[in-house]
Amino acid sequence: MPAVCFYFQVHQPYRLQRYSYFDIQNAETYFDDALNRSIMERIASRCYLPANERLLRMIRSHAGAFKVSFSLSGTAIEQMRLYSPETLESFRELAATGYVEFLGETYYHSLASLYDHDEFKAQVRLHSDVIEREFGQRPQTFRNTELIYNDEIGRLVGELGFRAIMVEGAKDVLGWRSPHFAYRVAGATTKILPRNFKLSDDIAFRFTQAGDYGVDTLTPERYAAILHELTGNADVVGIYLDYETFGEHQGKDTGILDFLEKLPSHVLAHQEWKFVTPSEATRYLHPVSELSFSRVTSWADTDRDISAWSGNKMQQGALAALYDTETLYDGGDITALDMARARETWRRLQTSDHLYYMSTKGDDDGIVHRYFSPYESPYDAFVGYMNVLKDIGARTRQAIEARNRSTAFNG
Amino acid sequence: MKILMLGWEYPPHIAGGLGTACQGLTNALSSQGVNIHFVVPQLFGGEEARHMVLSDSVRKISPGGLQPTGPKTASIPVPTTRIPAFLSPYWNPRQFKEVMASITQQQVASLSPALRKDPIARALIDGEVYGVDLMTALGHDQPALPDNVAGNERYSKDLFEEVERFTLQVIAQFAGESFDVIHAHDWMTFPAGVALSERTGKPLIVHVHSLEQDRSGLFVHPQISEIESFGTRHADKVIAVSYFTKRSIERHHGVPASQILVVHNGVYPREMVTDYREKRTWPEHVVAFVGRVTFQKGPEYFVEMASKVIPHLPDVLFVVAGTGDMLPTVMQQVKELGLSKNFMFPGFVQGEELEEIFSVADMYVMPSVSEPFGITALEAVSFDTPVIISKQSGVAEVMEHALKVDFWDVDRMADLIINALMHPEMRDDLARMAREEIKQLHWGAAALKTIEAYQDVSPHASV
Repeated sequence: MPAVCFYFQVHQPYRLQRYSYFDIQNAETYFDDALNRSIMERIASRCYLPANERLLRMIRSHAGAFKVSFSLSGTAIEQMRLYSPETLESFRELAATGYVEFLGETYYHSLASLYDHDEFKAQVRLHSDVIEREFGQRPQTFRNTELIYNDEIGRLVGELGFRAIMVEGAKDVLGWRSPHFAYRVAGATTKILPRNFKLSDDIAFRFTQAGDYGVDTLTPERYAAILHELTGNADVVGIYLDYETFGEHQGKDTGILDFLEKLPSHVLAHQEWKFVTPSEATRYLHPVSELSFSRVTSWADTDRDISAWSGNKMQQGALAALYDTETLYDGGDITALDMARARETWRRLQTSDHLYYMSTKGDDDGIVHRYFSPYESPYDAFVGYMNVLKDIGARTRQAIEARNRSTAFNG
Repeated sequence: MKILMLGWEYPPHIAGGLGTACQGLTNALSSQGVNIHFVVPQLFGGEEARHMVLSDSVRKISPGGLQPTGPKTASIPVPTTRIPAFLSPYWNPRQFKEVMASITQQQVASLSPALRKDPIARALIDGEVYGVDLMTALGHDQPALPDNVAGNERYSKDLFEEVERFTLQVIAQFAGESFDVIHAHDWMTFPAGVALSERTGKPLIVHVHSLEQDRSGLFVHPQISEIESFGTRHADKVIAVSYFTKRSIERHHGVPASQILVVHNGVYPREMVTDYREKRTWPEHVVAFVGRVTFQKGPEYFVEMASKVIPHLPDVLFVVAGTGDMLPTVMQQVKELGLSKNFMFPGFVQGEELEEIFSVADMYVMPSVSEPFGITALEAVSFDTPVIISKQSGVAEVMEHALKVDFWDVDRMADLIINALMHPEMRDDLARMAREEIKQLHWGAAALKTIEAYQDVSPHASV
């Protein structure tokens, strides 16, 4: 029986405020609380709250036949707690239905899987803890930041106890193989659930440009019909997208929220089709084969690689500086030095969005990068980021020196 | 105005920067209403798809006529006519052999009928003088080749035969055509340009993108150098891509300065920038202001910015190049702030000196209070120098890849400068992206200057 597996990414970074070189050692306010609050409030009212409400209604009215999964980053959960507690509450309500799965990821929506495995593991545990605390379930399925994946990450995630991982169904990786089946991580038993990027982006990017399907705006009837055409050739169709698609990226006036609400009954109208959560799919699906990745993939930009965050020299320089700072944290007894706050800042700076804003790509990719960026230019993004990084580096060094001095004095 | 342009290569299949430069310049010229017929020896393999589009428009040309192109067809590539010649001056011997092996005798033989109409061509093809340098045929002494010239290894003797063949074909096919000016790019096309000019009486412009002396250093190929000398001396006007190149032409070939017009390309050759950088010992970081030292240009904001940067980066050299009514005030300001050792005031600079300053600068700053456009920002970028410009300038509207500040916001300016100086990766990204971005704008300016040269040598033709 073919199934649709929905997964929605919910993520908000801590955007930085303008932090000048002359603020270094003078100011410790790095984040733009007002901006972060206003964005959270806006998206909550346009997307999170109305979309959650509709999903809740659908889950209840379909009595177990409709289910979805979410990935909420730690930084998004924190900001909901701060700026929109009712949003967090509505996610709890969804969790309580028993038909919503919450996936694992890095707490800070970071690129640590590529640059620092210890940090990666620490952030994944932090995230699993917060999900368990908030929603009463420990994540079983993993989705890395922006679906960043290679064989090594697959194995790492297996070691952390996850049963399955979601990946981009990149054409060059899949080759002749279909994205509509479960695969297995190379050299491991962890399962892979690929994303159908065409069908996912039809909603995320082309909702109002559905000319390929003979309609202006995608309709639930049309979309369900496209899915039903796959009957007999699919185990599971992975539709993974930004949750903000519903009401924020695609405004309410496009009818996207109604689309979301009506889609389940149209999909279920075909007797063979059903909805599954990733864990469910993982339990009953047999992987058709091992899937080895010759490159790092992601769901971002046209190239579906990591160039969205590390494509230019500034990004590479910023990443080098970011993960080099970590050596400053090997002091061991950092709480005694009251450096927890510095570490927290450092981790917030690991959020991939900061690197994403520094992209100098043009064309269609550039348009998407600029849409998300709070900066006037990628250069402004780089300068502000490097200044903050320099400040926490300097503060940490001073703290370590102070500790060493006092140790010497006492000793 | 009708221009017969002689080139050696055309994108996308190019061995050096010459083809790209020709593409940029011809695009910009045709959007200024200049009618160009561009002739290259051969369009190579991968170009075929592109070339087919060109071929269609070429077929429409009546024999002996040029296809008119107006501003509305600016984005359409200029028509090119295919004349088989097979070599690139930039190939190594192995590539040369491979290509030579692929050429059939029929291809070579098929050229003969057209060429036989020309007396010089006939003499050459009949075999008696075939293989002798064209210059000899035109009555010039052929330079003696020393036995052991390292430069020889880079150029096969057959390359000269190709140059010769190209020359003959051009004479055969275009001597009867009507045009106002012949415009020849680099030495490979100079013999053809000179021969055609002698035959038709039409003025010749030779365009020097690089000179053998600058390409080869100590291992100058005497024959190539001689062709360059021959071409630049016989031309009605020489276009040089920089003052650096202009000076080389004057020095090596004795062409009077008044004969040489400098037309800057969209992009400068990197070797030139490197050469300037290595010529003198400049401090590690140089930040430049170039322009009139007047209220409008905001020089005092430049000094204020410097006073904020120096405490953090004490070794930066700030250059204020230019004169104006505010210069004494600004110098006094620097003195009072105790920044004299970080400042240099070379006065009004132009030509080579200006190229040097742009080449060695890590950042170019244009803090203008009000600036209708700000062409110097584009110029800095063409030297791979990233720019920081005031939001009160016209250029800020057309450039995405520049750092932009309000002229009065010296704190922000200093913040950006410090970061740019500390992080070469930021300068690299800025320079690389800006360079691409401004190409179009720059070629527009280059085209206008080139048209000046056309009007100079052909005063009666109208654009």
